Amino acid sequence: MAEEAKQAQSHSGPPRREGGSGGHGGPGGGHGGPRREGGPGGGPGGPGGRPRGKRQYFRKKKVCKFCVEKMDFIDYKRADILSQFVQERGKILPRRMTGVCSRHQRWLGVAIKRARNIALLPFAGRAS
Amino acid sequence: MEERLYDLIFIARPATPEDEIKKVISGIEHTCAEKGGKIEKTEHWGTRKLAYRVAKHREGIYVYQQIRTNHAELIAELERRLRVQDVVIKYLTVRLDEDLKRQKKLGGKREQRAARRPRRSAPASVPAPTPAPAPEQTAAAS
Repeated sequence: MAEEAKQAQSHSGPPRREGGSGGHGGPGGGHGGPRREGGPGGGPGGPGGRPRGKRQYFRKKKVCKFCVEKMDFIDYKRADILSQFVQERGKILPRRMTGVCSRHQRWLGVAIKRARNIALLPFAGRAS
Repeated sequence: MEERLYDLIFIARPATPEDEIKKVISGIEHTCAEKGGKIEKTEHWGTRKLAYRVAKHREGIYVYQQIRTNHAELIAELERRLRVQDVVIKYLTVRLDEDLKRQKKLGGKREQRAARRPRRSAPASVPAPTPAPAPEQTAAAS
């Protein structure tokens, strides 16, 4: 949603300026009219309207939760913490989903496997 | 041999009476005393849901203990005894001292870094960002 709003803002900005300086905006708008109604025309319209059309990706930076909390040891007994990093069926979530740093992911894997052994967490597989 | 710290968790059947569990715990204490180990703490977690079925039970009574010992045979002996007990459906022993040692080491490093940081970063960071964005903005506007 935020991305759309941003694009709409930047999209509306430059055409107005161009329209003021020369007649460029007029014919362009006429041709673009029917295409834009098709829906996907809105996408190409963005970069076309802006000469410096760089698509802006805005992704929230994921931060390692354990680094924030400054944890040097992940306790396998804390099933409530560990369960945030496994799927419902018990699969360990990859780092790219959770944003955990590599060092903590390594420790996390060990902790989850220990917790599984004492039935605090399920093994991956059939949900019981 | 240096001293080692172990975690010992066992799960008893959900319908086990209190004194049966006490008997198991006193058995562990007895073995520890015999083989030269020390129980650091004992926690009763009570009845908990198991993540999967163990011996056809869906819940179990958890008991957690921490044991400090010089003798690794003690752990082998404890495991043997837990295995033969009917009441205990699952147990786990984990060696903890190496993890804790690492934690201590990392914690010490962090403190060192934190002590060093304020001196170095304070003068460098203040002048750099303020002039840099200003020319960019003016260029974009013109």
